[in-house]
Amino acid sequence: MRTRLAIAVMLAWLIPSAAPALEFVEGKLQVHGFASQAVLKSTDNYYFGNSPGTSFDFTEIGLNASYQSTPSLLFSGQLLVRRAGEMYDGTPSLDYGLVDFTPISDTERRLGVRLGRIKNPFGLYNETRDVPFTRPSIFLPQVIYYDKIRNALLSYDGIMFYGDRYLEQGNLSLNLGVGQSVIDDNAEWAYLGADVDGEMQADGINWGIGSLWFSTPADELKLGLSAILTELDFDAGPGSPLSSGTIDVFDWVASFQYNAADWTISAEYSRAPTHWNDLGPYFPFKDQVMEGYYLQGAYRLRPNLEIMARYEEGFANRNDRDGRDFSDLTGGTTPRFDFFSKILTAGLRWDLNPNIMFRLEFQRHDGTYALSIRENPDSGDLVREWDVFAASISVRF
Amino acid sequence: MISRRSVRNILKSSVGAALCCLSLHASPQDLIAHRDSDVETLTRNEARLFFTMRLKNWPNGTLVKVFVLPDNNALHNRFSNEVLGLYPYQLRRVWDRQIFSGTGQAPTTVSSEQEMLDRIATTPGAIGYADGPIDNSSIRLLEVR
Repeated sequence: MRTRLAIAVMLAWLIPSAAPALEFVEGKLQVHGFASQAVLKSTDNYYFGNSPGTSFDFTEIGLNASYQSTPSLLFSGQLLVRRAGEMYDGTPSLDYGLVDFTPISDTERRLGVRLGRIKNPFGLYNETRDVPFTRPSIFLPQVIYYDKIRNALLSYDGIMFYGDRYLEQGNLSLNLGVGQSVIDDNAEWAYLGADVDGEMQADGINWGIGSLWFSTPADELKLGLSAILTELDFDAGPGSPLSSGTIDVFDWVASFQYNAADWTISAEYSRAPTHWNDLGPYFPFKDQVMEGYYLQGAYRLRPNLEIMARYEEGFANRNDRDGRDFSDLTGGTTPRFDFFSKILTAGLRWDLNPNIMFRLEFQRHDGTYALSIRENPDSGDLVREWDVFAASISVRF
Repeated sequence: MISRRSVRNILKSSVGAALCCLSLHASPQDLIAHRDSDVETLTRNEARLFFTMRLKNWPNGTLVKVFVLPDNNALHNRFSNEVLGLYPYQLRRVWDRQIFSGTGQAPTTVSSEQEMLDRIATTPGAIGYADGPIDNSSIRLLEVR
């Protein structure tokens, strides 16, 4: 555990203050990367590892290459190694791998298509959610960017059409894509509440995404609307208490951001109507509308020193915000506070230079909805009010 | 009678005029490009499209190569604020989104103003910025309107 932190510190030491990206073939081939190590301590509950006993199990390493062979043809791919408590074990994965063709591009518009594994342009942060430098804090707002089902939202295999229109009043950007979602064990934990005998999978084309963005010419104001429509198939195994069935999710988020010289205000509101179909008499839930929202402010004391604060609330079901009905459905075995999370975050970011960043963060949680069930399998052990302290060191090139 | 001060002023302005004809004078308000670029003026919005790497080709179809100084460089900050009308952290955010989502690339970062001039002069399709007089026939000054 501690060796990972030592390695991260050593890496930070080794990377010179202005490490350039690696470039080849007259700059057409670029290689970029990042590495980050966090340390966490919580008063209760497991959050990215054994946090009550101090966890070092939050490590992110990425390496990507892109090749701009002509102005209209781009190839790119990224490998990601991510360790996040019991949720992700650090097995390398293909984060994205795509070919991007832009047949029309001038000073007024751009039209193109991407093919391959594509990151979902969902909300302000999803596309680069694992890159610490692009996040507003060590932890993304968990009530919208759930880490417990991160992969379900992360990327899909398929095709995406995109168009940009550049106007005097601002820029409009539209993305539309279809394909197949990338599903892992966490989806089962998050949607079925356990690692049930059987297989959660995508049956054919099960993923549709659309997003529309408007920004003023200098990007002061940014407004967005993103939505995902998906169906997950559960094929029950012989030992499963649940029957084979499907889960339908329609997840949408409205985004707002205002950028000034010294400060940035961001806010997002998300809702995800979810339906469970045909899972049998032993599965208690049928319908829910997940809901999450936050308001976040960042103030730059100096260009390389930023303080931030955020308040967020999330609910398993917006029609049952105090969790009473859902807790009753489980016969009271799951406490009411496991169906909501209200989180206050305060953080500090210091960029030692453009390539090395340090962060400190404090979170006060009311409720445990943001927690991974996989990390906290016994609901009897959950504690309603808990705090987290975290620190991280991140390097990039 | 001509005062000594006026003589000095006349001298100064004629030297200035001479210098102006000998070399291009770039203020941070100006963009520079490789001499082969087939434009002479850009609107501010067009300059933003080039520097945010969303417009990758010149009107004649050749690939644009963007060069910048590091994020914490004073000239980079002045150029970003005054010419593009963007805060440097916004440029960084756009580039990072592109390079870490696979949807685009980032400019090439050079370590000094001299390296910037050398790379612009020797790279067809190059665009960048400079401060102070430029005496290099391979570099063209672009007006931003």
